[in-house]
Amino acid sequence: MAEAPVTRQPSAISRPVSEGLLNEKWDRCLSNLIVKSGLGLGFGVVFSVLLFKRRAWPAVIGVGFGAGRAYEECNFSLKQAARDLKKGSE
Amino acid sequence: MLRLSLRSARVLGRQPVAAAAQRQWPVATSHRANLLLQRGFADQKKAEDAKAAAQNPPPSTIDDVGESKAKEIPTPAPPVTPPRKKKGFFRRLRNLTLNLILLSALTFGGGVWYSRINDTFHDYFTEYVPYGEQAVLYLEELEYKKRFPNAASRIGKPRDGSEQVTIPAQSGASWRVADAADSSRRSGTGSAPTKKESQPAKPKAATKAPEPTAKPAEPVTVKSEEKKQPGFKEPEVNEPSRFPPLKPIDLLSLADAKEPVVQELVHMLNDLITVINADGAHGKYGSSIDKAKSQVKKVGGQLKAIKAKVEQESADEVRAKVAEFDKAATELVGRVEKAMIGQELQWRKEFEEEMEKVRGSYDARVNLLLEREKKLNEAKLENQLLEQAIALKKEFTTEVQNRVEQERESRLGQLDALSAAVTDLEQLTTGWNSVVDSNLQTQQLHVAVEAVRANLETATQPQPFIKELVALKEIAADDAVVNAAIASLNPAAYQRGLFTTPQLIDRFRRVASEVRKASLLPDNAGVASHASSWVLSHVMFKKQGLPEGNDVESILTRTQIFLEEGDLDAAAREVNGLEGWAKTLSKDWLGEVRKVLEVQQALDVIATEARLQSLRVE
Repeated sequence: MAEAPVTRQPSAISRPVSEGLLNEKWDRCLSNLIVKSGLGLGFGVVFSVLLFKRRAWPAVIGVGFGAGRAYEECNFSLKQAARDLKKGSE
Repeated sequence: MLRLSLRSARVLGRQPVAAAAQRQWPVATSHRANLLLQRGFADQKKAEDAKAAAQNPPPSTIDDVGESKAKEIPTPAPPVTPPRKKKGFFRRLRNLTLNLILLSALTFGGGVWYSRINDTFHDYFTEYVPYGEQAVLYLEELEYKKRFPNAASRIGKPRDGSEQVTIPAQSGASWRVADAADSSRRSGTGSAPTKKESQPAKPKAATKAPEPTAKPAEPVTVKSEEKKQPGFKEPEVNEPSRFPPLKPIDLLSLADAKEPVVQELVHMLNDLITVINADGAHGKYGSSIDKAKSQVKKVGGQLKAIKAKVEQESADEVRAKVAEFDKAATELVGRVEKAMIGQELQWRKEFEEEMEKVRGSYDARVNLLLEREKKLNEAKLENQLLEQAIALKKEFTTEVQNRVEQERESRLGQLDALSAAVTDLEQLTTGWNSVVDSNLQTQQLHVAVEAVRANLETATQPQPFIKELVALKEIAADDAVVNAAIASLNPAAYQRGLFTTPQLIDRFRRVASEVRKASLLPDNAGVASHASSWVLSHVMFKKQGLPEGNDVESILTRTQIFLEEGDLDAAAREVNGLEGWAKTLSKDWLGEVRKVLEVQQALDVIATEARLQSLRVE
């Protein structure tokens, strides 16, 4: 009931509400994880098909690579945000 | 060309030469050209050449024997006829020239003849016809000679030498009759050339030669005539030597030479002496002439005596006459004096009369002038009187006015006092009015503030309250406090409106859950710490009541309680104490709460100001 105007008004200026900042970051991290791991899986599958006689491990490694990459990016972004917070508070 | 000629020769060869010769040139060539055309088209160009050749016949070459023959044969024929014609022509030419000469001679002659009759034609003829002038002149000369045969000889003379100019010794004044006759004849003939000159008048160049010779002749003859006339009186003085026998009487030697009678006598005697001398009979008449001479000398004396007598007589007569005239003169003078006196008397009378008349007229004028002056003076006096009357009237009116005004002023002064009282009353009323107005204003201010507050409190959703604020500002006019209060407001507050307290509480709940999630985060947290805090926050116990401590959970619960109590200010203070992620997450909510608080504060200030104003007035 009360959410409608709250979400509606900031949307006009496209400024995220302060309480939604973390959630947004989490969303981005998750999507990034999916995309990256998907890509890694794709590459792994291709490699497994082309080079490794359809073994499973290249695909798994690809997914790991992607997931790891996504994790690192998310970590970086969160730390960056924390740093910005500190700067802003100080 | 060579080939063409060859071909033409061949063509000619087919036909008989005689036939070709009979024909004219162009015909023959064209015929040949036709033949050539009939032969074939292979060498059409040649045919064209042949045409060209037909137009201007080809020069005869060595091969062109037939053609040259054909050309030469017809030539001998024409010479037979031209000679006959030539003979006739020459004859005709000769006839023509002869006729021409005759005609021109006739016209020339006619022109010469006509030029003598008509002057204009003469001018024209002599000027434009060659030799016309000479011919006309010659004719005129001939005619002149015919008319005056002597003129030629006379004209011839001056040409021999300039004898005409020199005057011979015998010429001029001389007592000889023969000479005089000679000179007279000469003068008679001398007039001839003048006549001759007047008659022709026209001759120009040719007559110029005789003219100069004739002209000098005239003055000379005239001179001789002039000289001859005075010669009658005293010629014998100059030339007595020639005829010694008888001396003519010298007039100058005579005592009474001035007497005209003596002069006449002397002349007569001289004439006689000359006659005698001419006859050469001086011997015979010498004695008698001497006597006559002596007589002449005596005549002078006798004449003088007669003259003296006559003079005496005349003098006597003159004296007598003078005496008579004196008497007459004296009488006349007497008469004239009498007349003068009479006239003087008359003039005096007339003068006196005139004087009287003039006096009368002047007196009349003076009287008139005096009368006029009197009238003028009277008029002036009347005017002055009128002016004085007017001035008096004016003074009277001014006095009356002054008095009336004085009266009025005394009454007007009372009126003024009344009006002053009235104005005081008015001022009082206006002062009350102002009080009432200020009251009204404050009331309005109260109303406006209440309106804003009501708008804020009644609204279920955030609404902009610009209109209310504007009204408030207008009512407050130049109130510095109100203006400052309004200026302190965040523009976003009245543009977008404010959250109501329920809304704020609702939003705090969401903010609190988010903040709880991040409550366990350390500094510089990564993904793992975030995840762990998220997980652990769900497991954490929730506090109740008013817990003490600076941890996030206790602060959140405290604010929750404050909000539920309606103490926005305390809640905002609590939230402001958060740090790190919790602070950033609750930032927006805090801003909203602050806006609401600011507005509430400003409204409170304005309300107190309004209350103050209402207090001030009273």
